[in-house]
Amino acid sequence: MKTAIRKQMTISADVMDLLNDQIALEMHASASYLAMASWCDQRSLLNSKAFFYKQAEEERGHAMKIFEFINEAGGASISPAIPSVNNDFEGLREIYEASLDQEIQVTQSIYKCFKKARSVDDFASEVFLQWFVSEQVEEEDTVRGILDTFDLMGDMPLKMIDERLPKE
Amino acid sequence: MEILSDVTFNIQLRKKTFCDYRLKVDQKMMTLTFPQVLQLRQKVNSLTSTENLENIIQNENYVLLFIADKKYLLFLEIPKLLDLKEELSYCFENF
Repeated sequence: MKTAIRKQMTISADVMDLLNDQIALEMHASASYLAMASWCDQRSLLNSKAFFYKQAEEERGHAMKIFEFINEAGGASISPAIPSVNNDFEGLREIYEASLDQEIQVTQSIYKCFKKARSVDDFASEVFLQWFVSEQVEEEDTVRGILDTFDLMGDMPLKMIDERLPKE
Repeated sequence: MEILSDVTFNIQLRKKTFCDYRLKVDQKMMTLTFPQVLQLRQKVNSLTSTENLENIIQNENYVLLFIADKKYLLFLEIPKLLDLKEELSYCFENF
């Protein structure tokens, strides 16, 4: 019987490094959303609290998806260290703005991975990342929609604004 | 690269079989599996980031590196650490 020969990795080493950075970014985003959820929870902003808890779960889910993909492709996933997370916020609008900033940062980082995968002909990673590209469009749109609600409601009390935010 | 086949370097990483790699650092020969090579690559890349290199230079000026699931311990000064990084990146060029 012939020896089965295969490449140990179906993923490019450079793409693997970028994806490991992406895991760290997603886990940091998840931790940041937890901090935001806690701020809202303490102030009984129920819809926002639920929204951020769900976001924290989703970001962790994204990280896990990448984590498993790297290992399945023969690479080595790295469990990331989470650097300090901001727990101080001025208000609810500021939290949603920070959340949009964070989503934009994640999107840009996904694009970086995607570009790298394309430039080194790593087709498996490119196809894998397509889902994330669409997902980020959705994520950014959700937060932008919420910020529009803030603009529409002007100086209404926080609790009233929160009640009109989407229930997640 | 054939031209270099009989030249020996201070640091050499060679693939024996698909899951058996031999790393030679000076006179020390070490056997590594592919996941262990991947882990070594990750450690060396992290140690040679600008920030970490600066930190090493300002302190001990060398690193002690456990490799192959702590089977071996390597003493590496900065030039050797950089050579190892070079060798590893060469090994991964074809992946």
